[in-house]
Amino acid sequence: MITLTHYLVLAAILFSIALVGILRRKNLLMLFFATEIALNAVNIAFSAISKYYGDLTGQLFAFFIVAIAASEVAVGLGLLIIWYKRRGTIDLDSLQSMNG
Amino acid sequence: MEKYLLIALFSPLVGSLFAALFGAKPKRLLTGIVTSALLFVSLISSLILLVHIASSDDIVRVKLFDWITVGSLNIPFGFVADQVSVIMMVTVTTVSALVHVYSIGYMEHDKGFNRFFSYLSAFVFSMMVLVMSDNFAGLFIGWEGVGLCSWLLIGFWYHKKDETRDINPSISPSWAANEAFIMNRIADLGMLLGLFLIYWHVGSLQYDVVFAHVDLLNIGLVTLIGIFLFIGAMGKSAQFPLHTWLADAMEGPTPVSALIHAATMVTAGVYLVVRAFPIYSQIPDIGFFIASLGAFVAVFAASMALVNTDLKRIIAYSTLSQLGYMFVAGGLGAYWIALFHLMTHAFFKALLFLGAGNVMHAMNDELNIFKMGGLHKVMKYTAILMIIASLALAGIYPFAGFFSKDKILEVAFDSQHYILWFMLWLGAGMTAFYSFRLIMLVFFGEERYKKYGFHPHEAHWYMLLAMAPLAILAIIAGFFEESFEHFVTKILPEYHFHVHGIVTVALIGVTTLIALSGIAFAIYKYSKGGFSEKWKEHPIYKLLYNQYYIPIIYEKVFTEPYKELSKIAWKELDLRVVDATVDFIANVVYKSGFAGRVVQSGNLSKMLRWMVIGLLVLIVLVIVYSPVR
Amino acid sequence: MDHILSLLVFFPALAGMLGFIVKKENIKVYGITVATIEFVLSLILWLVFDPSNGGFQFVEFIPLIPNYGINYYLGVDGISLFIIILSTFITLVGLISLNIEKNLKNMIISLLFLEMTMVGVFVALDAVVFYIFWELSLVPMLYIIGYWGGELRVYAAIKFFLYTFFGSLIMLVGMLFLAYLYYLATGTISFAIPDWHRLILPYDYQIWLFLAFFLGMAIKVPMFPFHTWLPYAHGQAPTIGSVILAAVLLKMGTYGFVRFLLPIFPDASVALIAPIAFLSIVMVIYTAMVAYAQEDMKQVIAYSSISHMGVIVLGTFAMNVEGIAGSIFLMISHGIVSGALFMLVGNIYDRRHTKLLSEFGGLASVMPKYATIFGIVLMASVGLPLTIGFVGEFLSLMGIYKISAAYAFLGGTGIILGAAYMLRVYKLAFFGPLTNEKNKNLPDLNWKELTSLVSLVAVIIWLGVNPNPVLKPINASVESMLQLMEKKAITKEAKDIFAHNKVELEAK
Repeated sequence: MITLTHYLVLAAILFSIALVGILRRKNLLMLFFATEIALNAVNIAFSAISKYYGDLTGQLFAFFIVAIAASEVAVGLGLLIIWYKRRGTIDLDSLQSMNG
Repeated sequence: MEKYLLIALFSPLVGSLFAALFGAKPKRLLTGIVTSALLFVSLISSLILLVHIASSDDIVRVKLFDWITVGSLNIPFGFVADQVSVIMMVTVTTVSALVHVYSIGYMEHDKGFNRFFSYLSAFVFSMMVLVMSDNFAGLFIGWEGVGLCSWLLIGFWYHKKDETRDINPSISPSWAANEAFIMNRIADLGMLLGLFLIYWHVGSLQYDVVFAHVDLLNIGLVTLIGIFLFIGAMGKSAQFPLHTWLADAMEGPTPVSALIHAATMVTAGVYLVVRAFPIYSQIPDIGFFIASLGAFVAVFAASMALVNTDLKRIIAYSTLSQLGYMFVAGGLGAYWIALFHLMTHAFFKALLFLGAGNVMHAMNDELNIFKMGGLHKVMKYTAILMIIASLALAGIYPFAGFFSKDKILEVAFDSQHYILWFMLWLGAGMTAFYSFRLIMLVFFGEERYKKYGFHPHEAHWYMLLAMAPLAILAIIAGFFEESFEHFVTKILPEYHFHVHGIVTVALIGVTTLIALSGIAFAIYKYSKGGFSEKWKEHPIYKLLYNQYYIPIIYEKVFTEPYKELSKIAWKELDLRVVDATVDFIANVVYKSGFAGRVVQSGNLSKMLRWMVIGLLVLIVLVIVYSPVR
Repeated sequence: MDHILSLLVFFPALAGMLGFIVKKENIKVYGITVATIEFVLSLILWLVFDPSNGGFQFVEFIPLIPNYGINYYLGVDGISLFIIILSTFITLVGLISLNIEKNLKNMIISLLFLEMTMVGVFVALDAVVFYIFWELSLVPMLYIIGYWGGELRVYAAIKFFLYTFFGSLIMLVGMLFLAYLYYLATGTISFAIPDWHRLILPYDYQIWLFLAFFLGMAIKVPMFPFHTWLPYAHGQAPTIGSVILAAVLLKMGTYGFVRFLLPIFPDASVALIAPIAFLSIVMVIYTAMVAYAQEDMKQVIAYSSISHMGVIVLGTFAMNVEGIAGSIFLMISHGIVSGALFMLVGNIYDRRHTKLLSEFGGLASVMPKYATIFGIVLMASVGLPLTIGFVGEFLSLMGIYKISAAYAFLGGTGIILGAAYMLRVYKLAFFGPLTNEKNKNLPDLNWKELTSLVSLVAVIIWLGVNPNPVLKPINASVESMLQLMEKKAITKEAKDIFAHNKVELEAK
């Protein structure tokens, strides 16, 4: 029997993977992938809890997140391409102009 | 009569303001004449008031307007001419008017002629406020006012530079002026505290209210009030230990010394004690302390006068010593005798100083009496006037000093304070000796001034004329003793003598004897060339000559440590500790900001790392502090 | 007359804004005109003020954020009236004597803006409005010191700003908490100071709130040991900056003591008399000593300011009419006297571009008018009777004497030490032979300097001889404030003090 706990554990594992990715990766593209994983981890949690409570709000939220993730990728990738054209790299450490 | 009171009070002020208009301008004889004339106006008004009060026993009061009204405190500008204050008014205006006339001659070549008269008249105004006020606050106005004028006049020749004590024991006029002001301030603080104490327990500073309430007050309180007021009096009247300023104040022009530092201002302390007699007659213990201090100062100051070589300083010490006599009388409850000696002393001491002024003028401001001698040949009138003054000072019959000073000795004996009497008796002998030592060295004997190339000359006729009334008063004032007593004891308590007849005569005889022997010794010794040079090496001579080393002690104990402490307070404490602490705190904030700025590296992954750390901390906090577990 | 206070507050600022379009050559005349109108307005306020009424007059009330009890609430009483007049007067006199070439227009506009904030602080009856003006006053001052100052101007300006700002923030926290307590007690939030005056707080809260307010105000006063910003600010500020700083801005702190601390926290005030008196006495004696050691004329006066402020604080915490009224009078007199002293130092600085005492000596011979005026102001500073300086000092010390004779004695040593350092300055600068070649041809005061100084001297003498027109309104307001405090007092100690803090005839 697959219970809510299993879904939440899966979501947590996925989120942790994403977190590690966000922290360790230096390539902006990889960073994007990692954030997508994190978002999807949250989506899984949302859907599972929605089902568990019988409340559709959670699934609704998951759709919102999918939509936002899509638009984010669209804008983000666009910016990324421009950045690559300007600097010739999409390495994170090259993006340090705003330091204190 | 109110009219005359106001005229007497304000004409010196008008004169002062008039002269001040020409303050920075070259000499105008007019300023001297106008101020002197106004002083005579004041004198005449005071005399009219005196006659009026003497004939009708009517006390004249004037209230101008309220000065300070706060809470239950109400201080008016109120003035009163009663038996005591009118005596003071007449004394002050007489001496002042004559000194003004004298100064026209004395200051004739001075650049600050107009300024001088402005200050001098301002002083008289302040002194009049002091003696005429009907409340303690008004007295304090005058008290500080005379202090200010004294500061201005001691430092009148402000352009002189500071010397070491060997060259000029008073360092410089401006130094002496500041010393006088600050020392008086110390005493004024005591007086202020006295006023506060009076106010908080009586609710008023008016003399009549306060004196009416004194009986109701706790004796400890009255004692405290008496002490505080006397501290004020000690400053103004230069009693030990606040006496050093008076001798240094001789840096001022000589008419100033005559008026302020002999006849009037320095007697303000005595006046205060006399005025506040309802307080002091309640506390005989404090009175005895005052008398003891007075007797001590009488001898102490006289001893310094014995060896000094400075013409004006000798007279200044003698003033100090005579103030001691007055305090003895005041302290022992013989208030009218204190006032009487105050008056006679004002006359003959002013005369003595003005005579000294003539000598200084003749000798181009030379003050060392050992550079003079034989001056009676060129300055006959001055010599006569100064001898009259000295005889009065020494207390020889029939001069004024005899009557007043002898009475003080009688009081001391009569109240069975034989030690005080003995000290005063000794003081009388010393007074006679140093007075005639001065006369001998200045006017008689070898004409030493010729060696130093001086060409002395007699003073202007009007200067001598201005001195003449003082000389007459110095001779005859004593004969008014009974009418004086009768007049002032309408307010002041009478003093009842217990000893009579033969004892009194004997006392007078003994006192006259020591005075005469003092004079005789001085004449004998100095007609033979004085003491030998070896005497100058003697430690006692050195002790006396250096004023018991007190000015040096004060400098070493108070002035210099204060300077050092101030430097430390500023450089070490304020800059190194207080300010540095503030800067340290600011620096900690600043540096921690610097250290913390690495967080804002701008590197996304580093920032994300911080974010994750924050997230974890929050989660931990949530778990720890979670209300449901 | 209904909106005279708003007019007083905003007229100078609006006129200052218009100043941007005035031509450069006319800006000074324009500034003086505006300041004169403002000064006349404040005199009219005095004229129509009812001196026997101890409460607030000309009250204006416009709700701003009524839900949070924040309102545009102005009013004036005897305590604030004369500090307002002092502000307008000093601004006017300062403008007349202004002697700056560089960017004059900005200077005058800042001054007018500063005038708004000063008047605003003293008329505000709403704590938020008060706080806004209180903080706004820092801005023009920061600019004046930072732009026209001496060599270390940036350090001095930032120190001044941050230090006082830090204190104010703590005061702000206190204000917010007090409003919250008011809410707890009454169910509505209020920032109105008169409302707070009526609020009776528990003793513990009083102490903490007192400390929060005290810190903010004490830094402004500045009380020992928070005073070190002041010598830097004065040392670096241009003359006009020092004049206004010493004359008015410092008074905001002591005004705050009287307006906030005493009536809102009577029990805490009474409980803390001893430590505050201790700080004040240290302030009086210690800064007088530091002043004595200074080598720079202006620093002497800066430190002397601190020393005199100590006497003001002593008088304020005397808790009786005599002391508090005296301390308010002393605020005014110190404003006039220290303003005049800073102006005088400015005059000599303009001539010689140095303030070091060692550079001077014998100035009385070349500059007799200058020496005379300096002498008069000096005498007022050391508190000679019949000058303005005496009345306040006398009453303040008299007031504190009732609390403790020792406080009065120790605070009173200020009159001795004050004479010592002021006379030292006078002797070093004016007496003695004229030795420095550069001083031999110094011109005496010109008409511009004379106008401003003589008007100050006139006030010094006038209010010294006849202080009653000023004392009367102050007295009425202080009396009603003390009645309020007596009514509010909850601790036994405070009740005792208020009940016995008056003249009592002692029976034998």
